[in-house]
Amino acid sequence: MYVAALREEIAVSSSPETRAQSGAMVHLLTCGSVDDGKSTLIGRLLWDAAAVAEDQRAAVMHASQNRMVNGDKIDFSLLLDGLQAEREQGITIDIAWRYFETADRRFVIIDAPGHEQYTRNMATGASHADVAILLVDARHGVKRQTRRHAAICDLLGIKNVVLAVNKMDLIDWSEARFRAIEADFRTMAASFGFTDIAAIPVAALPGDNVMRRSAATSWYNGPTLLDHLESIDVTGEVASAPFRMPVQLVVRDADFRGYAGTVASGRIRPGDRIVDARSGLGAVVRGITTMDGDLASARKGDAVVLELDTDLDISRGAVLAEVLRRPTNADVLEARLVWLAETPFDPEAGYLLRTGTDLTPVTSMSISALVDFETLASEPAHACAVNDIADCRILLGRPAALDLFADLPATGSFVLVNAVDGATVAGGIVTWAQAGASTVGDNVFVLDQELLARGLCADLGDSPADLAEFHRRAQEAAILLRSVGIPVLIEI
Amino acid sequence: MTALVSHLKLLEAESIHIFREAAAQFRSPVLLYSIGKDSTVLLHLARKAFWPAKPPFPLLHIDTTWKFRDMIAFRDKTAREFGLDLIVHTNHDGLARGINPFDHPPSVYTDIMKTQALKAALDAGGFDAAFGGARRDEEASRAKERVFSFRAAGHRWEPRRQRPEMWNLLNGRLGKGETVRVFPLSNWTEGDVWRYIALEKLDVVPLYFAAERPVVRRGDQLIMVDDERIKLEAGERPEMRQIRFRTLGCWPLTAAVESDASDIDAVVKETLRAKISERAGRLIDHDQAGAMEMKKREGYF
Repeated sequence: MYVAALREEIAVSSSPETRAQSGAMVHLLTCGSVDDGKSTLIGRLLWDAAAVAEDQRAAVMHASQNRMVNGDKIDFSLLLDGLQAEREQGITIDIAWRYFETADRRFVIIDAPGHEQYTRNMATGASHADVAILLVDARHGVKRQTRRHAAICDLLGIKNVVLAVNKMDLIDWSEARFRAIEADFRTMAASFGFTDIAAIPVAALPGDNVMRRSAATSWYNGPTLLDHLESIDVTGEVASAPFRMPVQLVVRDADFRGYAGTVASGRIRPGDRIVDARSGLGAVVRGITTMDGDLASARKGDAVVLELDTDLDISRGAVLAEVLRRPTNADVLEARLVWLAETPFDPEAGYLLRTGTDLTPVTSMSISALVDFETLASEPAHACAVNDIADCRILLGRPAALDLFADLPATGSFVLVNAVDGATVAGGIVTWAQAGASTVGDNVFVLDQELLARGLCADLGDSPADLAEFHRRAQEAAILLRSVGIPVLIEI
Repeated sequence: MTALVSHLKLLEAESIHIFREAAAQFRSPVLLYSIGKDSTVLLHLARKAFWPAKPPFPLLHIDTTWKFRDMIAFRDKTAREFGLDLIVHTNHDGLARGINPFDHPPSVYTDIMKTQALKAALDAGGFDAAFGGARRDEEASRAKERVFSFRAAGHRWEPRRQRPEMWNLLNGRLGKGETVRVFPLSNWTEGDVWRYIALEKLDVVPLYFAAERPVVRRGDQLIMVDDERIKLEAGERPEMRQIRFRTLGCWPLTAAVESDASDIDAVVKETLRAKISERAGRLIDHDQAGAMEMKKREGYF
């Protein structure tokens, strides 16, 4: 694995200029419910950062008077509710995207609903976020829901969290209460992988400590919410991360031939040696082509075209990688996923695994456990449905170049696609991957229904639970056989 | 005044990624080119995405015959300059029926001359994907729009049936009868579009820059008199005013703003300072409550 190699390498610190560049845009996920004052907080941020135009301000002032939600106060949530059905029901059911900027930073607010039945929306939003603002009501403190939100953020790899303790004005700006909530949260968050946690006492409706420093919190020396967001470091990537670039398409023009893609991690320069992770074929980068001229180097996030010294005969789906630290050419993987579709998981349905730019048929898939994100307890299970978070095992019809999400999020994440109607049914992160036998030739060992039913699965009947167990055992057997180098095909 | 530009290259890379994902996954894409500033940026990004090759799709313009004359000239010049295929589609049936923005309410006119025309052109071309310059910061219902916005048969937008989009993994596998609208500028704001035009020194329709132009005042809107088809009301007389446009559409339905911003730097400055939201100048959005959402459901962009 490349992780060991990573440690040996001396971290190359990036120049101040490049850091400023990659931190120029910050994606904020806001977690919390309407009751916690989430819409009000976002509305307040937009309002104070002057991202609200005058005609919108007037419309909101007018509507606030009609609804009388806050007496004579402004109902900031009116700025956010987008779709008609939602306006009528007074709830937010989908992700909404908002934008504002300060002198140095452009912010993207990802506003996802917080109720349990919308776990999928929160997870979807979290996949785009650099920072999560976890909102709690100062009167109620850290709730089970807060833990679920934190767990989802952690699952999707968010490292920076802000605990915004809201409605401080309703508890008379009690420092003791604030400190207790902060301590609760830090204890709870200790099991997660957050690298930066900031707790800030705010009152979103009047705007205290959002942009304007509150006169009521003389005991608080930390930054206001906006100050904190402006200074937070979101670069997130180890300078020496290995190079990865999933190929989106091949660009051809006269005698030009190049591989177009977005650098998923690391850096690349002309003269660097790369391999196609699937075929193992190597080449040297001859040039990095863009319409603005050739580049001396490209790094994570850059959309480029690589020209190579030899024609690798590869196409969309290939992952170009550093030679020494390559992705796993996996045909079996374990993952933790969020089920997004209304239709539950069905082991008989045809699924496709979308990683990077690759689309690989899933040969078989089984659920092993469901995770309760409020208690963080894991229960063995075979089924999973909308908003569930589950651990699963996936066998692929052919190998796909993958990394572990914990190492390289961009090439260690995937979505699962229903092969028939094209729907995106789940999103997941790779927690374990194994390279399979490289080719399936004549020597492939076939694990078929009869063979399994005769022995390993002789105790199982026809119930759905038994059938799921049948699949699970078949996969386990296949994995064990593959791990000792025997190519296996499951035919059940 | 902020002159933030360091994030523009991040937005550019994101848009290029989207262009390539769509071009790789859809059989027959088309770029909806509406000549305005967003289309200008969109086309520029498309050229970058496939460079040194040309974008592998044609441009489509829905011509209601009521676009500003400057727009049509700019459109033809652009297509010629970049050597791109341009498809111009007009709803001739609507034209024959005399549908026009003066005698018909904006909702009727827009539906027939824009939405119906767009659907017919997409069907006629057999296009399964159409790039558009819509941005999430434009309007409330667009704030929830996906990058790949799926349309059911008949180009209907079903907000509840949109696919979740995680990371930058864009799933373009179409179900039966489905088509898709692709929005590479999803995360851009109006300010970003102008700053990018300045940064990349892009040519735009001159109407975006302030000049003396003939206008009539209707309510609190300034309507430019672009040709003799205007129906002047009693006592109404065109007068010359220093105006420009923040958004360009059909001239009778697009209000001008009084402005002295006569070059790109001044426009960027004015945009970043703007107190009135961009689409306030679009008369069709205000026709009825939730107007944009209704139009989208029917297949408008």
